[in-house]
Amino acid sequence: MKTKETRQHVFFMMVGFLALLFLPDFLNVYHRSFIMFTMMYVVLSSSWNIISGFTGYISFGHVLFYGVGSYASAILVADQGWPWLATLPISMLVGLLFALVIGFPVLRLKGPYFAIATLAAAEGTRVLVTVWDDLTHGGLGISLPNVENSMETYYAMLILMFVTIGVCYWIAHSRFGVRLNAIREDEVAAEALGINTTIYKLAAFGLSAIFPAMAGAIQANKTLYIDPETEFFILITITMKLMAMFGGKGTVIGPIIGAVVLYTFQEFVWVTFPQAHLIAFGIFLILVARFMPRGMVGQAVDRGWWRKGMVH
Amino acid sequence: MEKAEIRSIYLLSGFLVLAFTLPFVVGIMTGYVFFDIVWLYDLITIVLSGMMHGGVYAMFAVGLTLIFGVMRIINVAHGEVVMLGAYFTWSLFNAPGFFDINVYIDPLLTMIITLPVVFLLGFGLQKFVLNAVIGGPELTPLLITFGIGISMINIVEWIFTTDYHTVAYVPGAIAVTNDISISANKAISFAMAFVISTGVFLFLKFARFGKAIRATAQNADVAMVCGVNIQRIYMITFGLGAALAAAGGVLVSIQFAFNPETGIQYTVVAFAIIILGGRGHFIGALIGALMLGVLENLVSFMVPNGTAMVEIAAYALMIFVLLIRPAGLMGMKEG
Repeated sequence: MKTKETRQHVFFMMVGFLALLFLPDFLNVYHRSFIMFTMMYVVLSSSWNIISGFTGYISFGHVLFYGVGSYASAILVADQGWPWLATLPISMLVGLLFALVIGFPVLRLKGPYFAIATLAAAEGTRVLVTVWDDLTHGGLGISLPNVENSMETYYAMLILMFVTIGVCYWIAHSRFGVRLNAIREDEVAAEALGINTTIYKLAAFGLSAIFPAMAGAIQANKTLYIDPETEFFILITITMKLMAMFGGKGTVIGPIIGAVVLYTFQEFVWVTFPQAHLIAFGIFLILVARFMPRGMVGQAVDRGWWRKGMVH
Repeated sequence: MEKAEIRSIYLLSGFLVLAFTLPFVVGIMTGYVFFDIVWLYDLITIVLSGMMHGGVYAMFAVGLTLIFGVMRIINVAHGEVVMLGAYFTWSLFNAPGFFDINVYIDPLLTMIITLPVVFLLGFGLQKFVLNAVIGGPELTPLLITFGIGISMINIVEWIFTTDYHTVAYVPGAIAVTNDISISANKAISFAMAFVISTGVFLFLKFARFGKAIRATAQNADVAMVCGVNIQRIYMITFGLGAALAAAGGVLVSIQFAFNPETGIQYTVVAFAIIILGGRGHFIGALIGALMLGVLENLVSFMVPNGTAMVEIAAYALMIFVLLIRPAGLMGMKEG
């Protein structure tokens, strides 16, 4: 698909990449970390979007992959002394493994039951991680060796973010994505058209699991301390979902807009009224779900600012 | 019945038998099981106290199943209402203490205030927030109730901080025989749960309004044609479900310590129960609650690290039942 539009998008992505590549030299550690975490949420909401936006299976337990990825990396770094970059592929594989093992049975469920089952899977994993303290140090958490690596994690997250966006873009513009959309619209009809829905759903679930796993790994090496309560925090799932929904799920640009806008907003609320953090979040969730379920992109399409059928 | 359906019932029963034997197997392997009379008495005590837990679980599971059955919405804020009920009880219980009066208000009496207040809260939520999204995509109410839930957590944290609270009601235990005894609080809350759920059952079965609720659950359109005011039924059902959850919260508060974040745990428990029992099924919820209560106590009694494993028991039960027979024990296949 070498259309003019694709070339434009690639051009914009390159510009963004270059801008973000040279930006951290001019920033202090706080702003660098802030941008890194914004990019992390872009990764998380974009990958949630793969299974839930493109394929229509709303996952309530995506923090599971983020958590196991960060734990895989932290265990290897803290207990085995690996260099942290070398742990990223392992985290990816662990995330993929969990996605396949959990996805194979659970993807047979539909709608709200899939949502509840993934929620249960994530919470169950949290308890397992807490209990299995030989491997995971239990509820004490893992402290990683103390280093200042805000530059390295920034670049790692930058590359991960562009890989994620690239994969989402490819999905949205390929037959694979069209098949996922077919599953979202009507699974029985998709199957009747000859799409092997099990394989496609599993592939989408796996793809949407590996990026959070790596993001979790990078985050663990950035914050240098992890414990089950923060790594498997249910609010992280809700945040990525809210960001993708606010931007517009089922599109490539939606989760990116949502993550950038909401993370900035969240940081602002967190700094100004730390106590009202959750309540602001809850009310915002209600408003988004109630009044703009198709997000900002959906609104723009409805008002004719963007053309219909837009996926990028 | 179809062959596949009968097979799934057999599979589910087989799974449940397995689930109940598993703690014993693990217990024998890890040496937590002793074959003597003292252990046997302990086991009986554990099973009894599991049933008492189950009675409390039944309270809020019945509320959830009622809401699901009538409105087809999945209320994730249910556990938070349980927690809210517990906090209401705690504040009323200690209320005279704030004015330096050395009396405590009986936790069961606080229900007289708690239940109507929470009923009105549920009524209002349904009227102003949820009514607009019924019948739309199934996930919108899920997200909205989640938003309500975390707002409630935040408000309660503001007022009461994140410390654990308990309500010290009746100390001591009731001796059933010389060797088996049960904590008095548990027995009281079980009796209370029994009374309330029987009351709700009779209300649904015989009262005119209860019949209207059941009719709406079966087929909202036909009920509307027959002259049932659906919107009102929805509001009252949500209020009733919330009030049942709060009643569960009152019973929880006299047995367990609670803090603002315990809500989610009860949400999961309630979901595990209604999925096991059959969604929207009243008796199913009662049976499921008793089974989950007993199973949880068996796990915490015989499995090492049991108190943490209890949570896993509920999660695993939920996922496996969803996979084996999504309709649950008593439910029929949704057509």
